[in-house]
Amino acid sequence: MAEESQNPLGAPARSYNSELAKAGALAAKTAEDVALLAEVERGDQQAMGRIFDRYSSMVYSVALRVLKDPGQAEDVMQEIFIQVWKKPGAFLSGRGSLGAWLVVVARNRAIDSLRRRRPTDSVEDVVLASSTDLAAEAERNTLMEKVRVHLHQLPPEQRKSVELAYFEGMSHSEIAEKTGDPLGTVKTRIRLALITLRKAMQGGEPPGLGQGHGQARATRGQAVPGSMPR
Amino acid sequence: MTIRLKEKQLNVNAQHISDEDLILYSMQSLSAGETATVELHLEECPECAANLAEIGGDFALLALSVDQQPAPAGARDRFLARIAAEPREAVSTYSMPQAEPRVVRESALREPARVIQATKPRRNWFPTLLPWAAAFAMLALAGYLGGSNQRLNDRLNQDKGQIAGLAAQAARAEEVLDALTSPEAKQVTLTEGKQAPPPTGRTSYLPGKGALVFVGNNLKPIPAGKTYELWVIPADGKAPIPAGLFRPDEHGSASVVLPKLPEGVPAKAFGVTIESAEGSPTPTMPIVLAGAAGL
Repeated sequence: MAEESQNPLGAPARSYNSELAKAGALAAKTAEDVALLAEVERGDQQAMGRIFDRYSSMVYSVALRVLKDPGQAEDVMQEIFIQVWKKPGAFLSGRGSLGAWLVVVARNRAIDSLRRRRPTDSVEDVVLASSTDLAAEAERNTLMEKVRVHLHQLPPEQRKSVELAYFEGMSHSEIAEKTGDPLGTVKTRIRLALITLRKAMQGGEPPGLGQGHGQARATRGQAVPGSMPR
Repeated sequence: MTIRLKEKQLNVNAQHISDEDLILYSMQSLSAGETATVELHLEECPECAANLAEIGGDFALLALSVDQQPAPAGARDRFLARIAAEPREAVSTYSMPQAEPRVVRESALREPARVIQATKPRRNWFPTLLPWAAAFAMLALAGYLGGSNQRLNDRLNQDKGQIAGLAAQAARAEEVLDALTSPEAKQVTLTEGKQAPPPTGRTSYLPGKGALVFVGNNLKPIPAGKTYELWVIPADGKAPIPAGLFRPDEHGSASVVLPKLPEGVPAKAFGVTIESAEGSPTPTMPIVLAGAAGL
């Protein structure tokens, strides 16, 4: 299978570059992950090796960012892929993206390791708002570039808050103490940072600070009442 | 004494989880108790689960923003060596880890059929009113307990949020049952004037559920080795259905609560006969107490 090499979109998307074709090609990519996982479920070690090849850098990089130690980061990475090896069926039943799940768990496990906590992951769906599939390397690199750009475009306090929480594993209270801001403000900043990032990746205009809440609700089509800071 | 026996939908988790709390949950920053509460809600709320999945997606984007480093040299080989050493067996479908279901006092819920032989000696007690309304309420409760036993058992495994509420209801039901049939409850027949009351029995019966409660007062004593037996006389003329054995205590009181009866049998009458101690599948004449159901 040579999709990864040059044109990740495959033949149909080349001839008519529509969103629909792209989605179709991407669905095939996700289906590839699904096929690999099904093979892993039957005990196919080569299939597991291919999943490792596809996602190991991504996972390792997150763990390294949190732990800053290559040995510890590799330990976390190995443990995560072992979990996939042991329970591939868990990923076949949801609608989430395997790649997205892997990086989220990589961060969580790394934080657990940082805090000497017992890992507590259950297998939950992790759904990427953008239609990008992470299995294709070129696609993934494009997405990563885009994320970095949008992240840097965030208001600095928002970016700082979310990075401290996410990569340093600081609690909201710890962040509030460090930055001298109220706890509620920290929570709001983190939520806004995530919403802004999501919308930016979807291609929409990032909402202004005052509108973010309402727009996010409209996008999701929910009627959940506004949350109060605890 | 009236008892409302509607099923209560417990709204322990009626409120959706806020975005901020879902964010905290996704980052594993909640306390153990808060985490458990959120997970409980997520199990039964697809909306919040979907919201959480999207928040997870946002965090995935964040995770992808880090500088990419290739896995260290040899990592792949180490990984492959490890999975070669731990070959996969074909395992059945993964199931979400569940917290231990809280153990609830099930004794009240598991035994729908109980025959109470009121033969224990009673201590000295003072008279208490026996409201007939309590017996009817008892019967409604009996119907509820009988019919919902299976549902409750299923729910214990699935719906942790309702267990606490149902346990409270069961406790209340036990109280009612106790008031009606405990050896310590005072059974008093009220009569006009001063004549001694005759032997009487009162039966409450729900045909649909086959639920029955019988309370007898001022019953004549019967010899050792004998027992009273209650009968349901079906409306369709079929043979009388045995409905429990009872012996009066020294005050002449006895009760039968929720004996094992078939469901959906309308009754035209109830009767009591005297049988030998182990009871009888068919009544032995004479019928010493009888009452017509009269629709």
